[in-house]
Amino acid sequence: MTGAELLALCKDALARAGEAHAEVYATHRRRGCARFAVGELGQHMDLEEPSAVVRVASGARVAEAQTTQLDVASIAGAIARAAKAAPLLPETEGFPGFAPAGEPTATPERFAKETADATPEARTELLAPVLRTIRAAGLVSAGMLETQRAAIAVATTEGCARSHDGTIASFKVWALETPGAGGAAGYGGHMHKSLSHVAIERETERAVRMCKLGKDPIELDAGRYDVVLEPAAMAELLEWLSAIAFGAPEVEQGGSPMNLGKRITGERFTIHEDATLDDPALGFGVPFDREGTARRPITLIDEGVARAILYDRTYAARAKPPAQSTGSAVSAEGLGGVASSALSVDGGDSPSVEHLVSGIERGLYVCRLHYVNGLLETPRAVMTGLTRDGCFLIEHGKIARAVGNMRFTDSLLEGLARCDGMTRERSAIPTWWSEGGCVVTPAVRMRAFMFNGRSQRSAVSLDT
Amino acid sequence: MLSPAEEAALAGALERLRRDPSVRYAEVRYVAESSEKLRVRDGRPEQASTGSSRGVGIRVLGPRTWGFACTPDLTEQALRGAAALAVRIAKASSELATTTTLFPENPPARGRYETRVGEDPFAVPWSEKMAALDAPVRALLGKGKPIASAEAWMEWVRVEKRLLTTEGTDVTQLLTFGGSGMQVFALGDDGVAQRRCYPTWQGSEGFQGGYERVAALDLVGHAGELREEAIALLTAPPCPEGTTDLILDASQVALQIHESCGHPTELDRAMGAEISLAGGSFLQPRMLGKLRYGSPIVDIVADSTSEGGMGTFGWDDEGVPAGTHPLVERGMFVDYLSSRETAAQIGRASTGTMRADGWNRPPLIRMVNVSIQPKQGTLDELIADTKDGVYMLVDKSWSIDDLRLNFQFSCEAAWEIKNGKKTRLLRDPRYTGITHEFWRSCDAVCGPSEWKLFGISTCGKGDPMQIMQVGHGASPARFRKVSVGNTGSGK
Repeated sequence: MTGAELLALCKDALARAGEAHAEVYATHRRRGCARFAVGELGQHMDLEEPSAVVRVASGARVAEAQTTQLDVASIAGAIARAAKAAPLLPETEGFPGFAPAGEPTATPERFAKETADATPEARTELLAPVLRTIRAAGLVSAGMLETQRAAIAVATTEGCARSHDGTIASFKVWALETPGAGGAAGYGGHMHKSLSHVAIERETERAVRMCKLGKDPIELDAGRYDVVLEPAAMAELLEWLSAIAFGAPEVEQGGSPMNLGKRITGERFTIHEDATLDDPALGFGVPFDREGTARRPITLIDEGVARAILYDRTYAARAKPPAQSTGSAVSAEGLGGVASSALSVDGGDSPSVEHLVSGIERGLYVCRLHYVNGLLETPRAVMTGLTRDGCFLIEHGKIARAVGNMRFTDSLLEGLARCDGMTRERSAIPTWWSEGGCVVTPAVRMRAFMFNGRSQRSAVSLDT
Repeated sequence: MLSPAEEAALAGALERLRRDPSVRYAEVRYVAESSEKLRVRDGRPEQASTGSSRGVGIRVLGPRTWGFACTPDLTEQALRGAAALAVRIAKASSELATTTTLFPENPPARGRYETRVGEDPFAVPWSEKMAALDAPVRALLGKGKPIASAEAWMEWVRVEKRLLTTEGTDVTQLLTFGGSGMQVFALGDDGVAQRRCYPTWQGSEGFQGGYERVAALDLVGHAGELREEAIALLTAPPCPEGTTDLILDASQVALQIHESCGHPTELDRAMGAEISLAGGSFLQPRMLGKLRYGSPIVDIVADSTSEGGMGTFGWDDEGVPAGTHPLVERGMFVDYLSSRETAAQIGRASTGTMRADGWNRPPLIRMVNVSIQPKQGTLDELIADTKDGVYMLVDKSWSIDDLRLNFQFSCEAAWEIKNGKKTRLLRDPRYTGITHEFWRSCDAVCGPSEWKLFGISTCGKGDPMQIMQVGHGASPARFRKVSVGNTGSGK
């Protein structure tokens, strides 16, 4: 199904339902997921994800209904359900009505036919050398190759009508010392709108290299360490920053660190919400939100100063003074509510991660983070989590040896205030929670980041 | 509800799979879900939505490995297409396989299972439900400052599942899940925010049952106390750093079980099948019956038969009947949450835990109701028995490493305990430890009167992510010499 076909369906359903004030947001995703583990392709799936979410307004009383049946009768039926429910609800303060036609959206090309048409056999063929390479290295493979095509459309009775087509090909790979019992692990990952451009071989070799480098780790004491975070590690932190900081609801509840106009972190840190990024390996954002508002680039934190937060139409209308929607009404496929969909951190001036490492006398090099949680103290963005898939001791400006996994607990914003280096190059890191499917970030160097514990996995004994 | 034509299409798809010589086993799973989500924030509706989802997932075991496809279209043609695609995927993947998937036969299951529901939640008018949420929110908000925000919510999901397999299994299940709660945020002049939730942290208050469960919560009746606690936390001292005896309330014990026993006893994780999202497990098969996981008073069971539990059902999504299986017995690690495939790899029978998040996902090993068995005494008696310690309640943040060893949790509130008495409220408490060391330090678990069955509706696993309802029964428990501290509020 294409975006145009989906839009026609939305319009037909609105016409058939005949409600005066209604909105239909429809998505159709087809995902081919070849998930491999323990050296075998054990979960190979063709997933269909259809959804139409409708809203109907009776004055300022607004009800929502959703269906997975993408046909005119089912969507019109959902509209009828919402229409029946809306009068029973209290009014939504500030509800401004559904979106009118609005300005045109940015139109970066997000669709690649070769990704949309990828077959199970094609995915299998691409994975064969991955499994062989890792097996030949005496290691165990895991990961996933995914090809996704998405059609998205929104239509309102007020005249908004938008559609979008996009594809994402993404690859994640692990080379492991043991299948699931710990030991060294190396990770690689890459995404692109075109399957043939995904760097499968390069990332597989990287995973093997990093796994070999991660063998025989030493254990370090807790304490403050200068740290280089690879983009995949930064992305885990940005997920939580997004969840606690940028949405108008979080600001309204008093838990957000965003104090507009004030410096809240270091001047090297600039982050945007930018669904318009025109780069086939970095930009996957949808150019409008679920309400049909065109998305434009928004600078959230500019050189450390909080500049903007994200609104949907209702939160914008209710803001004092009233604001404009930033196109940040996102569907419940990810975090839902008012949220970022395509975060992008500005790169710095370091030519490479090695250059960042060279500026550390003694510190840590972190490839990825695991199970980060950012709810400890949200006004300071205090987060905790652990390293995984590669943590290394840096000595005298070079990676010296592997380190067992460490737990950090620190304020991300205070850590970024101690940031003194970022790479020029940025990577798109796949995320499950972001509508755009990724976060774009450079590698980052921070001084004196607090590591307050370690995994102690060698301590498991069978004593009774 | 399937129409006769759809029933025939499902049976036709299964029959074609049964006749395909390349198919060793196949399952055709019809799932229809209805849902409602209602939320009131600060006196206005934040969410009022219904949902419906309907489709069929087809999982096929081909010559050597699996294929999965699905469709929301229940016509004969669409189901035939999905079945053919699943077979094609299984064949393509089998070309790459170096081993053949073990999948022992299972006796065919037949029957029907249904959640016991008093008052049908889907029959209660929205106006009544919204009023039931609006009243506690207004009570929480009170006269405003220092209360910054308050919200209350309820969610209902009804799942109809029909599982047909080439082995002859044909089971139908009708499950009704619910959850309701409230939370309040207080904001101090120093910008420090404090949250308090009831009945426990959002996402952990679930159950199977009817609307009567919401009335039993008495949200309005608890609003005043919750509000006052949130305000009191603004000026409470932070939990001191140190090593001390720790008492956890039942809801926090439930989360501790979830993260440090439930997930690591998933056999697919232990074998390395979940690396691409969740990681592995320190609990390896060689440790079965040999590893002292906890102290001798720690008994943890996986039970998919508990009345009202979110992890309760008649059969799992491979047709294995619900049952009760000890995971930790008198402190010893004795079994896994498993599937037919993974259990066969360690020479055991499946413990029946395969479930899928809807029709468009394949089943995975998921927790059922993983619960600690109650022992004796009340919370008051446990506190009275503690000379010097901290009592923590209701989770605020959670984090554990990729082998489920090093954990750190913070809670909404804590009480200092001196000489058997709660002496002062403490804010921003956190505790940390290593899983087996922590459970080995457990020297008291309260009795049946304190035991509650909690339900987590947001457990994530798999890649792509699947969300599942799981249950945990727990009583308050005491752990000796635990590292505690605070999250550093106010710098």
